[in-house]
Amino acid sequence: MRRRSFFLGLAGAAGCTRSSAGRLNVYNWSDYVAPETIPGFEAEFGVRVRYGVYESTEEMLAKVFGGNSGWDVAFPPNSFIHPMLRNGLLARLRHEWLPNLDHLDVEFRHPSWDPQLGWSTPYMWGSTGIVYSRRLPLVPRSWADLWDDRLRGRLTMLDDPAETLGAALKKLGYSINSTVPDQLIEAKRELVRQKRLVRAYVNAEVRDPLVAGDVLAAQAWSITAEQAIGASPDLAFVHPGEGFALYADCAVILRESRRLELAHKFIDYLLRPKVAAAAARAVSTATVNGSARAMLPEALQNNAVLYPPPEVLARGEWFQTMPAAAQRLRDRLWTEIKSS
Amino acid sequence: MSRCLAWYAAAAYAFLHLPLLVLAVFSFNASRHTVWEGLSLDWYRALASDSRLIESAVNSLVIAAVSTAAATAVGTLCAYAIWKRRAPLLSAGLYLSLLTPEVVMGVSLLAFFQWLFRFFDVRLGMHTVILAHVMFSTAYVVVVVLARLRTMDRALEEAALDLGAGEFGAFWHVTLPALAPAIAAAALVAFAISVDDYVITSLVAGVDSETLPMVVYAMARRGVSPAVNAVSTVIVAGVGVMILAAERLRKP
Amino acid sequence: MRLERFLFLAPARLLLLALFLAPMAIVAAYSLMTRGAYGGQGLPFNVESYHRLLDPLYLRIAARSLWIAGFSTALCLLAGFPLALFIARAGARKSLYLNLVMLPFWTSFLVRTYAWMFLLRDTGLFNTALLATGVIREPLPLLYNDGAVVLGLVYGNLPFAVLPIFAALERMDRALLEAAADLGARPSATLWRVVIPLAKPGIAAAGLLVFIPCFGAYLTPDLLGGGKSMMIGTLVQNQFTTARDWPFGSAISLALMAIVLLVLALVSRRREGVLL
Repeated sequence: MRRRSFFLGLAGAAGCTRSSAGRLNVYNWSDYVAPETIPGFEAEFGVRVRYGVYESTEEMLAKVFGGNSGWDVAFPPNSFIHPMLRNGLLARLRHEWLPNLDHLDVEFRHPSWDPQLGWSTPYMWGSTGIVYSRRLPLVPRSWADLWDDRLRGRLTMLDDPAETLGAALKKLGYSINSTVPDQLIEAKRELVRQKRLVRAYVNAEVRDPLVAGDVLAAQAWSITAEQAIGASPDLAFVHPGEGFALYADCAVILRESRRLELAHKFIDYLLRPKVAAAAARAVSTATVNGSARAMLPEALQNNAVLYPPPEVLARGEWFQTMPAAAQRLRDRLWTEIKSS
Repeated sequence: MSRCLAWYAAAAYAFLHLPLLVLAVFSFNASRHTVWEGLSLDWYRALASDSRLIESAVNSLVIAAVSTAAATAVGTLCAYAIWKRRAPLLSAGLYLSLLTPEVVMGVSLLAFFQWLFRFFDVRLGMHTVILAHVMFSTAYVVVVVLARLRTMDRALEEAALDLGAGEFGAFWHVTLPALAPAIAAAALVAFAISVDDYVITSLVAGVDSETLPMVVYAMARRGVSPAVNAVSTVIVAGVGVMILAAERLRKP
Repeated sequence: MRLERFLFLAPARLLLLALFLAPMAIVAAYSLMTRGAYGGQGLPFNVESYHRLLDPLYLRIAARSLWIAGFSTALCLLAGFPLALFIARAGARKSLYLNLVMLPFWTSFLVRTYAWMFLLRDTGLFNTALLATGVIREPLPLLYNDGAVVLGLVYGNLPFAVLPIFAALERMDRALLEAAADLGARPSATLWRVVIPLAKPGIAAAGLLVFIPCFGAYLTPDLLGGGKSMMIGTLVQNQFTTARDWPFGSAISLALMAIVLLVLALVSRRREGVLL
């Protein structure tokens, strides 16, 4: 028994080598800042930043749900702000500590999920659409085109129930956030019909097969599309005519944080136009920061993949939080689609 | 038949090592994507300067070393006691822990720790990862050591007792040395499992306890990145060298 | 003697109690709770989650997982036995060969899986080679199907099959083999009538150690299967992440373990037990 506690002590010593003063723990999506972003903050404010990354929202949620994960700042998507708030996970934002909020694009100053920006500030946003190869015998313009037999075995859809059900719902003319059981069941039937055309359900990993030419059409996020197109001029992206999904990743401060002021300073730092512009350039995704966007090179500012023109953007729909019953039904339908 | 077996073994080893070869080749690829574009050491250079990677590798090694030591000690003692006289309840428990899928074990441990932390001002960290690793490694150690014990002749211990050694003396001076290879094998299995674990570790790791599989997983999700290939090749080369060295040392 | 036995067993008992039984008790408690409005779990207590399990959809998923896991296990044993036999007869090089079997394990499991995906792709090594030599005209769909999943499962678990079988073969009394030869048996007959029956405990242990991870696997079916077929491991993973339905996920987990226990009970009827 003593041997074990000796080893545990060793381990404890190994783990607690730094004190918590002058420290900030930030939990973000991977590849979501520029290389100089964090070092720049550390240098200017004389603190050490522990920068952790995650690959899925659920991964992050599972950790912070207990209220003692150790993280100060996290970046959930907009549809998770409300649930996190209801579960008491968020700290109120003090705008007097966030002067750079003014740089936010007008679109994002009063978003539907947090109108007063009392709990979150948007960070990056994106949309979902279709990436396709010009070698295809058809040019996809709508979700319905992804049900075309000529795509058989060359098509991938996102491995995300909200996104994939959303595409089917849009194809049928319904809302992405539909909670009507009949509509959802109809969407499920469409997806089961489509399944024999689908090569795989993959998320960001589809980038390499697209570039290599294995996959000729994919439901993908604008960030993935931008990266794929950058690597292969054969590829193009379209926002489907029936409508498409919009999402925004937002910065929040966790209630458990003991470094509220420093956390605010970090978020304020990210809102600086120069910092936001550098991040947007490094990450290939769209920034919510209006002043930063103006600083981007012309080609990037008017990039239709990342910043669709207003008439296209009007067809977009923001994801919303699902009530429990609808979530249950959607999960069940997803299981049915996957196991058919 | 010997020749057939030899040919088959060669094919089996080729099957086992083919992906490793692919990784190694592509770690020298100049291009980011899976199109060959010329030889390059860029990814290895990037590795050397990636502090996050190095830190996570150190974490992985520390966690593996500590948890292996603990699991081997606990498991060996346990296996010995079970060999002397059955302990059905304990065996059943260890069995169950082997049967539990990783995701279930990880989630249950996370839930347990989070419940515990309501009463103590502790957080997830290296200590929780180490505890989790000790948990799932112990059963493997017991299986390996017990298997070896079952082929052992009890007469040896009885002889020691007849010659005046105490119970513990018999264990320490007779059985344990004979068990040494099995204990070493068990430790090696526990170490390999610990170093490679992703599911459970990612669930119970804290802010400062990122391990190598977690970093590799994050890198690999972005697509097959040559930096990941470089890491894997370095690890395999390192372990390969160790194996060859151990082989040399065995033959005086 | 009593004290010594108690002390030897105490650490393991404490470990199991604190880090296995207590957490599993919490999971069992969760399985009887209800999903919170936005995830998590809370009262009231009910058996609704177990009730949901009886749906044919989930029974189908369980059956499918049993089939794939069973098939992969059989293939793994078939592939692992000759290799274990080879190593057991290798003489001085035994540990080298054993270590070579374990070597792939030192790279991340995920990275090895991605390497296989790279090999099996339409533009991957196998298809490129086959196309170049004119054996096929169109690339074969080697990836994103059940075959790829079985391949991945067999590949990932082969060392677990080889090690126990090797251990059993090594302990075998050579005198028995010589006796068989003396009595006029050909090598193949010796193999079939003497070696394999004697190695049965090792084979059974190997089967179990392979079947369990195969049955509960989720990364391999997800990546190599293209996420197109839902296995029970994926289902559990889904409930704890995407669906955030911990009570239901807990119920499935306990059901999963019950199924494995059942398989175990069918396989091991000896007093000593297969592994422990």
